[in-house]
Amino acid sequence: MSTATSEGSTDLPVLRRGATVARTNGHVVIRHLRDEVTLDGAAAQLFSKMEPQLDGKSSISSIAERLSEKPTRLRSLIEELGKAGVVAFATTADDGALTTGMEFYALHREHCAYWLGDVYTHPLWEKIVTGRASRAQVIGFAFEKYHYIEAAFEHMGIAAANATPEMMPHLARHFIEEYTHGDIYRKGLRSLFPDDFVLRSQPLPSTRALVNYLIESAQRSSFAYYAGNELLQMTENTGDTRAGAAVDEFYDAMRKHYPYTDKLIDSFIAHTKADQKLGHADAFLLMCESVPPLTRREVNDALNVAKNMAEHLVLFMDGIDTFYTRFPTVPRLPCNPLSE
Amino acid sequence: MTHIQEHFRAKRVYEVTSSGPGKGLRLNDRIVELGEKEFGWYEKVTAWLPSVRGLADLSRELEMDESKVPKFIEALEKSGLLYRTADMPATMTGLEFHAKFNAVLKSWLSEAFAHPFWERMMSGKGSARLFTGWLIELYHYTKNANRHMPLSCAHAHEKPIKQLRAKHYAEEWNHYHYFMKSLKALGFAEPDIASSVPLPMTLALSNFMRQAAREDILAYSICSAVLEGTTTDRQTYNPYYEKAGELYGIPKDAIAPIYQHLDLDVQYQHSDLFHEIMEQVPVLSAARASKVLDYGHQLVEHVWLWTDNIEKYYQVESNPMPRRPFDAALD
Repeated sequence: MSTATSEGSTDLPVLRRGATVARTNGHVVIRHLRDEVTLDGAAAQLFSKMEPQLDGKSSISSIAERLSEKPTRLRSLIEELGKAGVVAFATTADDGALTTGMEFYALHREHCAYWLGDVYTHPLWEKIVTGRASRAQVIGFAFEKYHYIEAAFEHMGIAAANATPEMMPHLARHFIEEYTHGDIYRKGLRSLFPDDFVLRSQPLPSTRALVNYLIESAQRSSFAYYAGNELLQMTENTGDTRAGAAVDEFYDAMRKHYPYTDKLIDSFIAHTKADQKLGHADAFLLMCESVPPLTRREVNDALNVAKNMAEHLVLFMDGIDTFYTRFPTVPRLPCNPLSE
Repeated sequence: MTHIQEHFRAKRVYEVTSSGPGKGLRLNDRIVELGEKEFGWYEKVTAWLPSVRGLADLSRELEMDESKVPKFIEALEKSGLLYRTADMPATMTGLEFHAKFNAVLKSWLSEAFAHPFWERMMSGKGSARLFTGWLIELYHYTKNANRHMPLSCAHAHEKPIKQLRAKHYAEEWNHYHYFMKSLKALGFAEPDIASSVPLPMTLALSNFMRQAAREDILAYSICSAVLEGTTTDRQTYNPYYEKAGELYGIPKDAIAPIYQHLDLDVQYQHSDLFHEIMEQVPVLSAARASKVLDYGHQLVEHVWLWTDNIEKYYQVESNPMPRRPFDAALD
């Protein structure tokens, strides 16, 4: 693995920007993604002393000089922290190192699993499971899922039409397999609303934001687009038994508190099963196997899209939670000169 | 679908207030007072209208004889709370459409700025951090005008409208410098702001403008007109800046560039641009008029949710400000 953290360039140490540092009873606990390091005694003291200097701008020797410490002692601790994944080493220039598709795949999975944390802990889930969500929020949730899935026509179509040669077969296949899935949700919604209203209903701005972000990414870079789309797929089509059981519990609670959503839930389950049958879980792995090695810029671009997608997904949840509370009209019909 | 469901729809209610024992429902052009019982019936009717349930269901919910329901529906229509779909004009001129837009703009803006964030900021419960965060997002939004304004020129097919859109772009494209000046006065370094990333909803606003630009130049222009509608005169925006400056110790140097920017908008008379564009449109079908109007209202909803996103992010002290792009080497 050789993105910008080149193994040999340990001269400009930086505490990873997402890392948190906690201190209790002389111990220092540093956490970053799933990595955690506990320091105590002299190592904890030395880390506390040098922490403000770990900014990626100072070399180990200059930090040692400023702190009146031996460079070898500093280097030894910094390298250990580097191996533990909480300290990185900034380079002053792009060394031209390339990242293979499979290296990227591992990096992507690690970060996405972390970024999705805010989605899984969003308060809307608990409100639905405990029956505290309003009718507008629950039906709104189904409508927004429908709009998002139906938008496969837009972003997947644009992605396939703008695909690089390596990505084209994957993106074409994905579009062809997905474009009918909106109808699965539509069928559920038709149990409560006339078909014409379902078709003409408006997504929330937050749902449109998610779809538009996918569209914009798809126009610009096939690979970055799919790196972002994969984050969304990671929430959808798990074949994992434990995660599957959690999803079942969610639907059971929803049926119990909101009996009128029975047909909607049937459509959610039908969609999950349709996705699992297609084996989409492996799609990104196959893409990563087939792409040429990526530059540092391409790696950062694709990971930025994935991170932005996670933020848009939180926004999607926020929109349902907040907007349907403040404006509880559902379905959201488009306005016209008489409605205003 | 019953005959009633096919022919009646609910008007938009902008606000519901308690009015003695009943409720006051604010429409665009009037306030309709309903007693508590009638308000309950009204809510049931508006939930039933777009549903697949039959008249018997509604009659049961209202505890009203089926034969009496149509009369009640007609009474709601007379009060202005419902409208008949058949009353939709088949066509309208560009200027008739503009008059409709003008008549509804004030209500739309009240909806866009009804977010509790504004009351919080004006009552002293906000913070300098929230003010600054909002300014950073305004910087990004204004800079992102370069992502949608030229696109609208590219997708405008008629010469006079192309010309008007291009002139607007030429006058606006570099206005983000005003916000950069403000942010520098607040102590930020230019490269840190220039390389920062916007919140998802800030990006969403410019992505929605891009969507509108690709869809229909009038849809784009109404969105632009809604935004320009907030800056028609100094009375609209001065109180907020004055109060925020006073409450949160915002230096005058940070507010002055914002005034310069807003004054420039007034000077250019950008709020009149939509009128000039609609003058060029001899006729709109009902479908096009509805689509364009709907884009305008969607923009209103975007502004509300944008405010929500800004408040939620910047009220958390530990969230980075400005937001840095992800870097695999450093994050």
